[in-house]
Amino acid sequence: MLEETQSSAAAVGAPAHAPPTVRVREVSMDFGTGSKAVDRASFDLSLGRFLTILGPSGSGKTTLLRMIAGFQRPTSGHILIGGKPVDAVPPDRRSIGMVFQKLALFPHMTAAENIAFPLKMRRFDPAFIPTRVRRFLELVRLDGYGNRRIHELSGGQQQRIAIARALVFEPALLLLDEPLAALDRKLREEMQLEFRRIQKELGVTTINVTHDQREALVVSDEIIIMDGGFIHQHASPALMYRSPADEFVARFIGVSSLIEGTATVGGLMLAGVTLAGSLSGSLQPGMAARGVVRAEQVRIARPEVSLAGCETVLLGTIADVIFEGERLLYVVEVPALSQNILVYHHDPESAAVFATDAPVSLGWRARDMIVFEARP
Amino acid sequence: MISASQRFWFWAIVWVSVVTLSAPTVVVLGASFTAGNIIAFPPEGLSLRWYEKIALARDLQQAFLRSLIVSSICMLIAVPAGTLAGIALARYQLRCFNGVQMYLLLPFTIPLIGSGIGLMMMFGRLGALGSLWPVGFACAVINLPFIIWSVSASAAQLDPDLEHAAANCGAGRVQTFLYVTLPAVMPGVITGSLLMFILAMNEFLVSLLLVDARTVTLPVQIYNSIRSIITPDLAAVSVVFIVMAALAIAFLDRLVGLEIFLKSK
Ligand SMILES: Nc1ncnc2c1ncn2[C@@H]1O[C@H](COP(=O)(O)OP(=O)(O)O)[C@@H](O)[C@H]1O
Ligand SMILES: [Mg+2]
Repeated sequence: MLEETQSSAAAVGAPAHAPPTVRVREVSMDFGTGSKAVDRASFDLSLGRFLTILGPSGSGKTTLLRMIAGFQRPTSGHILIGGKPVDAVPPDRRSIGMVFQKLALFPHMTAAENIAFPLKMRRFDPAFIPTRVRRFLELVRLDGYGNRRIHELSGGQQQRIAIARALVFEPALLLLDEPLAALDRKLREEMQLEFRRIQKELGVTTINVTHDQREALVVSDEIIIMDGGFIHQHASPALMYRSPADEFVARFIGVSSLIEGTATVGGLMLAGVTLAGSLSGSLQPGMAARGVVRAEQVRIARPEVSLAGCETVLLGTIADVIFEGERLLYVVEVPALSQNILVYHHDPESAAVFATDAPVSLGWRARDMIVFEARP
Repeated sequence: MISASQRFWFWAIVWVSVVTLSAPTVVVLGASFTAGNIIAFPPEGLSLRWYEKIALARDLQQAFLRSLIVSSICMLIAVPAGTLAGIALARYQLRCFNGVQMYLLLPFTIPLIGSGIGLMMMFGRLGALGSLWPVGFACAVINLPFIIWSVSASAAQLDPDLEHAAANCGAGRVQTFLYVTLPAVMPGVITGSLLMFILAMNEFLVSLLLVDARTVTLPVQIYNSIRSIITPDLAAVSVVFIVMAALAIAFLDRLVGLEIFLKSK
């Protein structure tokens, strides 16, 4: 895991000289509930980069973030910030700004008082606090809202105050614990880009936590995928998407079809059919395996059209057509596999749209289906 | 739509409730303004002579002053203790949580006479009977659950991450308590404090057991008067009590405007 983490961090172009801003070394958290909430997590994060920890609910993301913030002490392992171990440093002595899931703004203070609070607590020169607060209200585009009480602000405005409070003292590290999860989709996407803009503007090293794969792909320089307390992969969004490290990652990112079978040289075998694919990692022919093929990698055509370049070609019928606006999702029933395959069609305006029950042929190239070892 | 008969029954129930609940207050209020020499409702003529009488009565004045002192002592003890206990109860996983819950129900299960006798014996042993502070202390002890409730109800509404957020802003434990936790539960503290004040002001049974002739509090003073003859000045004293309670409620209403800006989400 460690080797892979480092190699993939290098792959996304982390500068080799400066020591990473954050180093997490073999950190575990055991609440004594049977399984570990975080299981030997290790990663490095370089100055100014935006890392997203992505994983389903309960995968240990919040726990990992809280250990970095200092609210929880790891059962084992070490965390270094700016090159120094912080194991014995209480949260108020760490230079970390955090935006909480429910924001945790101080209800009895105004917006400006909330933003000024970290400056007061960290003994900034009082003469300079009002200017700094005003500058950060401008940064989050809420100039003129400083005297509002927290409950007098909309959800999106409260988010902005929370991020201003987290950044106003120029922390070495910014932590975001799904602060956008409660917003509706449009506002959420707007705020994602807003967070990204502010992060870029200040160049602050950031760790963001989410279960929204779209958000992770859109805003991050690097992504870590977690499940069951375990880091599955640490890579750039593009690399993560193109070469998932294991079946979990392949299924978690993007829309894919999953085919069960046995690994063979050059693909996957099931019920007498051999599908062209590329074997991942240590997979040996004869082992139980699962092939994963992304919906946008599958080509679709009328049955009589030959699909040039596709090593695998299958016949099927359209079971369902789902209109998603900018694209169509076909659910295609394939008798040879006795299952459905998902196919994206990116040009819903074109004449070549298929109706339900239409016969079609599907095809993909060997490199577009990755065959993973089947884990229970 | 509400039919005419439904409307009739609705208003009938409302008025029966209003009359039943307010009857004692109205009667005592009316009786206190009587011009006659016996307590009666409706009053015989209108006058303020009984108010004049209680305003000039030295024993009543002193009893009133003592009750104020008792209330202050009670608040001095109960407000810090109840505030800390209320916050702890709502915010931390206490090992003895069930025990504390039982304790909070005690005022409704143990008759006051029981706690009163216990306290009387305790203070008797200490040789402390005859001064006012044991009465204030006793009022604080028996009424403490009310302020704990009030504060913990306020604290339970807070975001559990509020204190983490303060630490994240650089506030140490003491600063976090003073600048974040305490102001955020202030509505509960104010409500609880006024409740403690009124309860201590009105406390009769436990006072009766703990006072002697030199330390009679107002409720005990009134009781002593009833045992001789009931005159309209007692109605006037009761009205003073009612007015104080009403003031406390009005005060609370003003202050708990605080709660409006505490409803951040
Ligand atoms: N304070 C705690 N005590 C016991 N178990 C906990 C505690 N906090 C989290 N957990 C458990 O640890 C696991 C990871 O939780 P969490 O880090 O909150 O996940 P995520 O943020 O990814 O949804 C969950 O199974 C959760 O039940
Ligand atoms: Mg979480």
